[in-house]
Formats: sequence, C-alpha cells, structure tokens
Amino acid sequence: MENLSHILTLFTSAGRVLMGLLLAVATAGGVWGLANLCRRDPLLPRLSGPLLATATALMALGFLLIAWLHVEIHRLLPLTLPAELVPWLNRQLAAANQGSPYGLPLYDPAAPPRYVLPLWIENEKYFFWFLCSTGMALVAHRRLTQHRFRAALLLLAAVQVAVLFFTTNPFVEPLARFFAEVRPWFAATDPWQQFSLFMQLYPRMVFYYNAHYMWLHPPLLFLSYAAITLVFITSCLMLARREVDVEALGYDFAKLGFLALTLGMLLGYPWALQAWGPNWWWDPKICSSIMLWAVFSTYLHTRLYANKPHMWYFSSILGILSFVAMLFTLLASYYFPGEHTFQ
Amino acid sequence: MRPRSVSYDYVLILATVAVLFAISVLCIYGMFAFKFAQIQNLPPAAKLAHMERLNRLAAPLIIALITLLGICIPKRLLPTRWLNRFAVLLLATAGTVGGVYGVRPALLVILTASLVLQLAVLALAVAGSGLLRFERSGYWLRLGSTLMHLGLILFVLDLFFFRRPLLHLALFWTTTVATTAGMLCCFYAQPLARLVQKKKGPPAP
Repeated sequence: MENLSHILTLFTSAGRVLMGLLLAVATAGGVWGLANLCRRDPLLPRLSGPLLATATALMALGFLLIAWLHVEIHRLLPLTLPAELVPWLNRQLAAANQGSPYGLPLYDPAAPPRYVLPLWIENEKYFFWFLCSTGMALVAHRRLTQHRFRAALLLLAAVQVAVLFFTTNPFVEPLARFFAEVRPWFAATDPWQQFSLFMQLYPRMVFYYNAHYMWLHPPLLFLSYAAITLVFITSCLMLARREVDVEALGYDFAKLGFLALTLGMLLGYPWALQAWGPNWWWDPKICSSIMLWAVFSTYLHTRLYANKPHMWYFSSILGILSFVAMLFTLLASYYFPGEHTFQ
Repeated sequence: MRPRSVSYDYVLILATVAVLFAISVLCIYGMFAFKFAQIQNLPPAAKLAHMERLNRLAAPLIIALITLLGICIPKRLLPTRWLNRFAVLLLATAGTVGGVYGVRPALLVILTASLVLQLAVLALAVAGSGLLRFERSGYWLRLGSTLMHLGLILFVLDLFFFRRPLLHLALFWTTTVATTAGMLCCFYAQPLARLVQKKKGPPAP
C-alpha cells in the first residue's frame, strides 16, 4: 500500500487542478448558455463550440488519469498469500466450488490475483456518465446551429460539472470504498488473519471488480443515461417550439440510448445469475430499470407515429418521462436497499 | 351508424400495454415492500419466502404476457380469420397440456409454437417475401423487427432454463445477438441499405 501512496498524492493533486479548470470552463459555458437561452438573437455565437470542446477534452483527460490510477492499482496491489497457506486455501476453494455452477478459481502462487478495476466504480461512474453526455452534446452542437439548443447543451454541461465538482468528485478521496475494503488486508501481519480477510476479498474481486460483465453492463447503461439526458433536452425544446431538426436529433440519440440500455440490461442477467443466483428479480434497482425500459420503449413506439396529429407532443412528454424514470432508477440505488445499492 | 371497427393489432397492443402496466405496478410494490420489510436484513429463509410470494404474484402476468406473445407472432403470417382460429387452437392445446402436466409445460407449448412460427417469419423476412404482413415497409426494418421478436421469445425461453448453465448461456447469447442485430437493422435501416447498395454497385440502367 505504501507504494501506492505517492501515486494517490499525484493523482489527487493533478485531479484538483483538472477539476478546477473544468469548473472554470463549464461556468463560462453555463453563463453563455443562460444568456443565450433568454435572448432572441445569439450572443457571441462562436464561443459555444470551443467552450464545449474544451470541457470535453478536459473530461477525457480526467478519464485517462483515472485509467492510470487503475493500472497502478493492478500493478502494485496483488493479493499475495504466504506459501504455507496455499494448499489449505485451494482445498477450501475446491470444496466450496463443489455443486456450484459458477465457482471461484483456485489460487495460483505464481500469479496471485490482482484487481482489474473497471473505470466506472464509486464516484468515477458519474465522471464517465457525464463524459459520455458532454461528448454527445458536442456531436449535437455540431449538427444543429439553433442558439437556444446550443445554450441548453452548455447549461447541461455546466450543471453536470458542478455536480461532479461539489458532490461526486472522483479525485477527492479516490475509490474510498475500495481502499476501505482492502486496507485491512494489506495491514494484516498474521497469516491466518490474512487468510480470513482473503476469503472476504476474493469472491468480491472475482464476481464484482474483475467480472468481465463489469466492462459491459455499467458503461452501456451510463451511455444510455447520457443519451436519455440529450433526449430530455430535445423533448423540452420540442414542447416549447416544434422544430423538425431538433426532433430528428433527439430520435437519433434515443435509438442509440435504447440500444445501449437494452444491451446493458441484458448483459446484467447472466452476471446476476453468476453472482447472486436465482431470485434477484425483485432487487429494487432491477424493478426500476424494467420500468425505465418500458417507458423508453413506449417513447420509441410513439415516435413511429410522429406524423399523426399531436403525436409529437405526446412523444415529447414521454421523452421527458423517460428522463424522470432514469433519475428515479438512479436515485433508487440510494434510497432502496438491495444488490445495487450505493448506500 | 356503423360502429368503428377495432383492428386485431390494436387490441393486442392494448392488452400488452395493460399487462406491462400491471407488471410495472407490481415492480413499484416490490421495491417498497423490499424497503419497508427490511428484506436485506432478514435471514435467507425469510428472504426466499418474500421472493417466492412476489414470484407467485407475478406468475399470472407472465403467463398472460407469454400467451399474448404466442397470439401476436403468427399475425405476420396469417389473415385475421385464421389468426382467430390459431389463437383458439393454441389456447386449447396449452389448456389441455396445462390440465394434464401443469403450467410450465403449457407455457413451453406456447413458447415452442411461437419460436417455430417466428423462425418461419425470419426465413421469409430474410428471403424478402411479400407474404408477410407488416405495418411498415422496407427489407431491413422487417428483418430487424423479426429479429427483435425472436430475441424476446428466446429471452423468455432462457428464463425457463436458467438452472442449466450451458443451455442458459447458449440461449442468452443467441438472444443478445438477435436483439442487437434486430435493433441495428431497425434503427439504422437506411444507412444499412445504402451500405449494401454501395457494395453491390449501382443498379443497372
């Protein structure tokens, strides 16, 4: 753990500078957005593109910084057990694996287990979500020139950066829960205490941190959340004033979002069977995700009939409802206990 | 004045929406029941009893959904008159099997019939057959819609066989590939058509 302390210091210092810059750029973007949202004619129209592009670049840089920390954790924190414990441990693991369709791999002293932490755990998941969202906002900004639409995109980026900076900053106390879990193991000196802690850490490492599904299920869902956020913006603008271009752009993001949401939810299913066994259906987060999927698929179905009178109005309301359902799904992780809880 | 006729499709859509709505309401109930009964802190046996109770509540809705799916699938192939007959025949067979062997085999009968029919629809859609009845036109749209529905049937079948890891994984990955390919074909039908046209070369004058 000592090897990692100077890396953590470097990570937090660089992160602090980066987040400060990001907040400054996003605030400027937010001010531009507010001013333009209220005006009939655009004000400083050439400013929005560079501001949004800078914010996206800074977020991408932050994401690379997070990836670097994870690589260092993989390199410096192997779960190495004393050699005398290995045969006994492997007998225990083999016994535990009997009759179970998804067992734990045996311990190989030549290659002790190492963490392959996904880049979207703890506060990092918000960073990844907002990075996807800002990237999509940049694409949307290039496609449409309406100043009010661009203003809404910059305001969205400003709000998201503010949320990151003040409440879910991944560079302040990085991976707090992960380190709280592993610190006792690295501090333990007695081999049997190490063994007991290993038996707690190892299943969580295999079925959660190092699970292959972790590289597909959460990022696809965050990608879909980002797309739904963009659909929310286009739906709000559609309610205020019907513009075919805005509607078409919203539909493009909705298609991408639905694809990512469906695939992401599907990929959670075999993983849940592996990690929790049957009867995980009634986990609150899964219940709310099924509702989100139902509302979002209703939105897409109504969009098929957008040429019918007033259907665009109904479709926009459903787009906003999808966003509300997404927020509910997200907040469910805090309020409702269960396997997906963030509490 | 003649009463306005209601299409078969419309009734099926309404019924599906009603069942999905009921499932959503049950989901909300499940979330709050989980929270207020402190299920996560209960011993495993009590936890299991809670899950089983919710499973029992959901079972009729899932049965209704599978039955609707079984009736929906052949609408691409059959005219309405034959569709009614097919629905009656399917329900009668499932009812008989259910009476003799239980609910699970009856649901499997419906799912197997749906799977066979959907595979026939897929073969016709791939061949670009004009025999199929779709709301929307376009080769890729039809193929995409067919693949998505095939994915849905396979997903429900997968739920039946999740206790057999090998079969479950085979069904799961087929579901995932069919659903993803279906969505790609549906959502990006025009770019796909353009891409295929480009590869084939310009049409002969």
